[in-house]
Amino acid sequence: MTNSLHTEDGLLTLGVRDRWYALCPSRQVRPGELTRIDRAGEELLLWRDSSGVVHVQEDRCPHRAARLSLGVHMGDRIACNYHGVQLDGDGVVASVPGSPGCALEGRKALRTFPAREHAGAIFAWFGADEDAEPAPLRVPEPISGGDWDDFLCYVEWDCSYLLSVDNLMDPMHGAFLHRNSHTMFSGKREAVFQIRDTDTGFVFEKTDQRGVNFDWSEWVDTGGLQSVTLDIPYPATAGPGGPFTIVACVTAINEHQHAGFFWRCRKVRGWERDSWRFLYKNRLEARHWQVLEQDRAMAEAMPADAWARENLYQHDIALVRLRRMLRAEAKRQAASRAERRPARAAAR
Amino acid sequence: MPLNLEPVQSRFRPTTSYEEAFADELEAIYGRGVHDLPGVVAALNETGVRPADGAEWTEESFTREIARLGARED
Ligand code: FES
Ligand SMILES: [Fe+2]
Repeated sequence: MTNSLHTEDGLLTLGVRDRWYALCPSRQVRPGELTRIDRAGEELLLWRDSSGVVHVQEDRCPHRAARLSLGVHMGDRIACNYHGVQLDGDGVVASVPGSPGCALEGRKALRTFPAREHAGAIFAWFGADEDAEPAPLRVPEPISGGDWDDFLCYVEWDCSYLLSVDNLMDPMHGAFLHRNSHTMFSGKREAVFQIRDTDTGFVFEKTDQRGVNFDWSEWVDTGGLQSVTLDIPYPATAGPGGPFTIVACVTAINEHQHAGFFWRCRKVRGWERDSWRFLYKNRLEARHWQVLEQDRAMAEAMPADAWARENLYQHDIALVRLRRMLRAEAKRQAASRAERRPARAAAR
Repeated sequence: MPLNLEPVQSRFRPTTSYEEAFADELEAIYGRGVHDLPGVVAALNETGVRPADGAEWTEESFTREIARLGARED
């Protein structure tokens, strides 16, 4: 774990703890392989056991810290390639071939993150206390199945996840940055916004336009998973089924890069669903991609100190509120970590 | 680590010329505001796109074909 996770700034720029984070698309972790990724300040190893269940662990051998991702996948165990120590999916040392019977055997010595797969992605719980039970993973309704259908678009961007959060909570850029897109070409170029509280966050919405452009977005923090939901109308060419909804989750890779998960969802069934899926594969995915590339070009080119010199106006009140919320949580977690650490050191 | 950007994530093979033609006609029909099943089937029969056996589209053959074309791939 990087030291910066002990500080308020570190927690803010890498993501607060005690949350589920989306890590990567399910297909990125193939059977029999050891997959290394960095997320939210942790160096992770992902692998599937023989029944296909995914395990998320620290990529650090408990013996002498070699990279387990350079090791051997053995079915329901992995073996470090340096001295052959074997570990199971719970992080327990199953065998120390060089010194059988040594005290390391049978010990849970490898940090293991609770993991789940949902809607085509792998999620893991990043607890402030690694032994505490995770909160339930409650995902937003549009990616819960049922009457909804979704496609996941996964991206990695060369900028802080915080800039993506800003972008998602800024509906007004739709009418400008995306004015020539397939979905956001109409509607007014000026608006007055309001904030409406919900049980799990807040909605930021135009007071005088809905269902015409990118007119609202909602910050949702269930206590387990943070996400943004928004919807955007489709043109008539997309066929029956109304607007599409985006459920977005962003996860820091490190301070300067992040992974973005955009589930494009539509509440549509039967032949209308099949038709949407067909057009998505053949036409819409490419157009959605162009829109997202406009966002990426803007976000990746932002100055690193963007937040240091801004002149915000009424359209930015959601950003201000969200940044304040995230910083307050980072501050709280850094303080409680500082309180716990001397106690832990004394216990050793 | 290099960053991963894949524009196409919903399918794992190139589209076929048949799918291209089908998508063009369907978008044109929808674009005229025809969004109901009988209307779409009738409008599709005005085009050159036909099922593999060359028959006229029916509601049944159209829904079966669109389910095949729209199947989730992975
Ligand atoms: S460092 Fe892994 S077995 Fe020694
Ligand atoms: Fe955008």
